[in-house]
Amino acid sequence: MRRAALAAAVVLTALVLQADVINRIALPLGRPDLSLLCVIAFGLTSGPVYGAVVGFCVGLAADVLPPADHTLGRLALAFAAVGYLAGLVEDVEERSVLSTVAVVAGASLVAVIVFAGLGALLGDGRITGAAVARSLAAAVLYDVVLAPFVVPVVSGAIRRTEPAG
Amino acid sequence: MRGSGRARLILALLLLTAFTLITLDYRSGGGGPLRRAGNAIFGPIERAVADVTRPIGSFFASLGHLNSYKAQNRRLAQENAQLRQRLRLTDPQRAQLAAAQKLLHLDGQAGFRIVAAQVISFGSSLNFESTATIDVGSRDGVKRNETVIDGDGLVGKTETVGPTTTTILLGNDPEFIAGARLARTQEIGAVYGGGRSPMTFRLLDSQAPMHVGDELVTFASLNDRPFVPEVPIGRITKVVPSAGQLYSTGRVKPFVNYDAIDVVGVVVAVPRTLPRDALVAPSPTPSPTPSPQPSPAGNASPTGSPVPPARRTPSPSGSP
Repeated sequence: MRRAALAAAVVLTALVLQADVINRIALPLGRPDLSLLCVIAFGLTSGPVYGAVVGFCVGLAADVLPPADHTLGRLALAFAAVGYLAGLVEDVEERSVLSTVAVVAGASLVAVIVFAGLGALLGDGRITGAAVARSLAAAVLYDVVLAPFVVPVVSGAIRRTEPAG
Repeated sequence: MRGSGRARLILALLLLTAFTLITLDYRSGGGGPLRRAGNAIFGPIERAVADVTRPIGSFFASLGHLNSYKAQNRRLAQENAQLRQRLRLTDPQRAQLAAAQKLLHLDGQAGFRIVAAQVISFGSSLNFESTATIDVGSRDGVKRNETVIDGDGLVGKTETVGPTTTTILLGNDPEFIAGARLARTQEIGAVYGGGRSPMTFRLLDSQAPMHVGDELVTFASLNDRPFVPEVPIGRITKVVPSAGQLYSTGRVKPFVNYDAIDVVGVVVAVPRTLPRDALVAPSPTPSPTPSPQPSPAGNASPTGSPVPPARRTPSPSGSP
């Protein structure tokens, strides 16, 4: 119960900060995605079931959060897959910083590919080869840079709410 | 592997739900009830947070646009005057039309009604979209598919409308298309937002001349929605050779800096008796003379010459 409340609070903060602050910053290629990092952190800390559920909820919220303008459900699907996949890596007992970074890079790639793939299926004019390449580069680059700051904080907060560790 | 069976079942259920949502939303064609609900629920939160974070976000944004940050101050002060001026006069044809309307005693009867708004958040969705939320909604009379402008020109059009917030599609979104024409020659075509690549203009008549520096204005949509006519869009910066194509193409540098938009106005369509009536902004002091006379001291007045004078570039900073 506490974990669900924590998840909701963390995710809402991430989503609103993303829209209100991060997306204002003009960076080359693109911008980091805070909510995706939160999903990865939840998956890594709490396993595939929790990762998939949180990923779905975060994705759905990101789908309906106002400036979003794509077919609803695409991010939900992409993030659910990412949360699940990140959860599968949970078993690795001693995660080094490097392996976390590798997971974040892989998960960002998966998220962009699933989102773009669904868009291509639905005939989204935004999905072009150049746009996908740029988005992939931006996702990997910026998410990896931001991961050492976001993932440990979120993971730590999750661990504190579950007594079993 | 841990929790394989149950985890896979749950994942399958979630993916199935997501597919169902995608199907439902795809069939509703955008702006569906869930998205409106999202605007109603998250909009106020974003608004409240934006009040706090706007200075922070603006600070970071301003690092890339220090010049435009300064210019913005001036722009806000002049916004009202500029909007009126822009809407009233962009080229001689407009002035002629105003004169014709004088004759019909229609001047000032109806005009653009503009709902001023502030941008509260930007969208990216894994960096594919270029959208923004503004702090006005259906309660302010905003509807779907209306023109959004600022002091420099065309910003975009409204998409999903919530009670107090509205999503707008910006002119640099890859999905953005607007009818446009060259202000000088009246030749029509369409502009395409290019995402992170430059905006392009396709001139329908490939034989018609198009030159670097030509200005583009919007071409009226049916019933002026989504686009009202004569809103400045941008300037041609490069004419792409179009051998063997049905249209000629040019690159466009928009007047609006989409990364730095802040105060915008939604042109709320007003019912009127004549289709062209809304071209003229309501004048606070209705003057008896039509406006195409060149004003003697008009250093900023766009009247007088058959070719519209070079409009000032929207922002001194480089393009994004």
